[in-house]
Amino acid sequence: MSSEQDHLKETDTEERFSFKNEHEAALVSERGLTEETIRLISEDKDEPEWMLERRLRALKLFQEMPMPTDWPGQPDLSEVDVDKIVPYIRPDVEMREGTDDWENLPDEIKDTFDKLGIPEAERKALSGVGAQYESEVVYQNMQDQWEEKGVVFMNMDRAVQEHPEIVKEHFMTSCVPPSDNKFAALHGAVWSGGSFVYVPEDVTVEMPVQAYFRMNSEGMGQFEHTLIVAEPGSEVHYIEGCSAPKYSAFNLHSGGVEVFVKEDAHVQYSTVQNWSRNTYNLNTKRAIVEENGTMEWISGSMGSKATMLYPCSILKGRGATDTHITIAFAGEGQDIDTGAKVYHNAPNTKSTIESKSISKDGGRTNYRGLVHIADGAENSSTAVECDALMFDNESTSDTMPYMEIEESKVDVAHEATVGKIGDEDIFYLQSRGLDDDDAKKMIVAGFIEPITEELPIEYAVELNRLIELEMEGSLG
Amino acid sequence: MSTQVHATLTDETVRKISDANDEPEWLIETRLDALSALDDLELPHVIQTPGRSWTNLEALDFESLVDPLTAAEEKDLVGDDDVVVTTLAEAASDDEYADIVRENFGSIVDPQENFLTALSTALFSSGTFIYVPEGVDAEDVKIRTEMNSRSLFNYTLVVAEESSTATILERQYSGAELDEDRYYSAVVEVAAGENAHVQYGWLQNLDQDTYNYTLKRGRTDTYATINWIEGNLGSRLTKSAVETTLDGSGSESQIVGAFFGHEDQHFDVNARVWHRNEHTTADLVTRGVLDDEARSVYEGVQDVGRDAWDTSSYQRENTLMLSDESEADASPKLIINNHDTEASHSATVGQVDAEELLYMTSRGIGEKEATDMLVKGFFVPVLDEIAIDEFRDDLESLITARLDE
Repeated sequence: MSSEQDHLKETDTEERFSFKNEHEAALVSERGLTEETIRLISEDKDEPEWMLERRLRALKLFQEMPMPTDWPGQPDLSEVDVDKIVPYIRPDVEMREGTDDWENLPDEIKDTFDKLGIPEAERKALSGVGAQYESEVVYQNMQDQWEEKGVVFMNMDRAVQEHPEIVKEHFMTSCVPPSDNKFAALHGAVWSGGSFVYVPEDVTVEMPVQAYFRMNSEGMGQFEHTLIVAEPGSEVHYIEGCSAPKYSAFNLHSGGVEVFVKEDAHVQYSTVQNWSRNTYNLNTKRAIVEENGTMEWISGSMGSKATMLYPCSILKGRGATDTHITIAFAGEGQDIDTGAKVYHNAPNTKSTIESKSISKDGGRTNYRGLVHIADGAENSSTAVECDALMFDNESTSDTMPYMEIEESKVDVAHEATVGKIGDEDIFYLQSRGLDDDDAKKMIVAGFIEPITEELPIEYAVELNRLIELEMEGSLG
Repeated sequence: MSTQVHATLTDETVRKISDANDEPEWLIETRLDALSALDDLELPHVIQTPGRSWTNLEALDFESLVDPLTAAEEKDLVGDDDVVVTTLAEAASDDEYADIVRENFGSIVDPQENFLTALSTALFSSGTFIYVPEGVDAEDVKIRTEMNSRSLFNYTLVVAEESSTATILERQYSGAELDEDRYYSAVVEVAAGENAHVQYGWLQNLDQDTYNYTLKRGRTDTYATINWIEGNLGSRLTKSAVETTLDGSGSESQIVGAFFGHEDQHFDVNARVWHRNEHTTADLVTRGVLDDEARSVYEGVQDVGRDAWDTSSYQRENTLMLSDESEADASPKLIINNHDTEASHSATVGQVDAEELLYMTSRGIGEKEATDMLVKGFFVPVLDEIAIDEFRDDLESLITARLDE
């Protein structure tokens, strides 16, 4: 079987989800999202007919699919009431209510910005209420430089208008079809905003592409779509700029990320999310990696009430490589269920997954991963390493890897450890004059260093600061 | 669940089995309750990932497999003088042991835990009761079951009193070939009292027409130890769970497993431990080899409860694939609710090391012989954990026989 077929087998087929379908009647409300709402969004954006059709198809799938409720130990989604979300999906009017006034932001978010020492203008930008002047300028300058090389980097809505051919080919077709899961379907129906990145053949974008800009104008960032197409031999590093807590009027974030890594291309996707504590963060992120391509996922999950996010790489071409580096931090009342998925569908493919988690004050972290090595993916190798650090006895940390190995000529290794913060380490640091808090901060900083060293310095610093704040218990 | 079995199974069937054993009323009631619960019970948990179920139990046609009234077996029960090794039926109506049976039966494995445990409880014709009184050292308890019918339901209850020691070896074989699909089911409960030490070895070598469901679960009191050793070589499809609930402070458990699949065999092997009290320790070690189109599914669970302070828990699972048509699925899970824990797990899947093979063949050893030696060597870490010589020798010779086939 060709890897193409294998891939389709893994994604856009009915069989894939048929085993869950028995629950559908009980869980999907008749009211749901309406066709009128979808038409309204599409019309508002002046979209071509084909995009409207895709939205409507996604809507239909969304209405047919059950909520994911049958995963062992999954976050409680009973509060995610699709009916309640629906009215918020109407564009703009209600959207602006919550987000265009700094004063309306919850205190916890304003406090966080204060403590992070971020200037007020920047704070407003980061929280999505105003314009971020500095970033805008930087972005503009860089855009000129790239445009000469044929690089496209723009708002996803605009890309639908200006690059219809590329978008039509790649948008929620083979990478993240709306049939993938209920929230991918929801996303396909109501998506709005996000980033479109196109890198032509053999072009290297030296500076990281950052997606701060969209927060200026997009009230509907909750359903943003990111599409990255890296042509053969190209290289790009994309950074999703939700490194500060975003405030939202509604409590569901369901983004979609699709990355196409062509032959010999190299894409790094970094994100540090710190959503407000009333947010359900249910994303679908996936990359298709062609021959000798490289995909790197780097993510930090700090915020949200509950997160279910498993970035996925489909290693479709011979010699494709995947790297996942993730860190999750769950504090009081948080359930961060995250991990990685890799499908090895071609020979000589390689993946490494490094996952770190910290749980504290009753928070729960879970690594949930899937490594699939298809029949014929010979000489493939995968190494998965999970480490969990627990601060106290109210917290929980689970590791649930799934490994499906259909090929014998492989090298598969999974390792996980869980432990509390070492009393001896703390004692040692205290005996060198550090107080208890500083000692713990230092141990955590060391624990997550493998992650932070992969991030550009400003993100690494910010991640460290966020974790320090978490540890002081000073974030909401 | 479907009513496919229920259609051929009635209260009358269950009463016949029970009457033949002259069982007390409570046991008949327990069986009948299990029977009537069948309709509402699910098959045991099977791992599912998008698009696939790792073991397909739904496909089993229980209506044709289950034939309880013609159950036939040959059973050897061996024990020392000061330990009780008898049938459950006898023990349940014996003045001295009736209360012990009643108190413990179904206390560790809920008869209505799932469809297959309920089926086993309702229909078991072959029950074994092992009772080790306080302070007694029972070194050599043996159960040997030869299955001679279409279906056979076994139930084993082990009660080890305070400070006793028990070493139990149970072997499962098929007798006469029947040339049709068969079903073998076993439920084992082990209650280890304070400071008791139970070692339970299990060797399954049923013929390859047999579907096999096994659930073995032990519960430890303070300072007790339950060590399980499990070898799976036979059957067409095995769904086997070996589990310990570490209830008592300072208690320990080791689960050592080995499987060797060939042709179209399917092993769904689960090793699970629940840390429910302080200072508990667990060590899970499983090694498996797959040849031809054989398939393995491994689930290991280390569950550390909120009250399980000062826990140590380790798990290792390694699978060796000899054939490109084989498939190995694994899911080792850590569920940690107490931070005063040291826990780790690891799993690997790979093939015979090419370099080692080259090294050996370059020394004049034939390729087949070299591979066999490497496979045997692969099982050594598991064999080393087996303290009972007889069991280790048995398992080793079965592995050798499999390689020579």
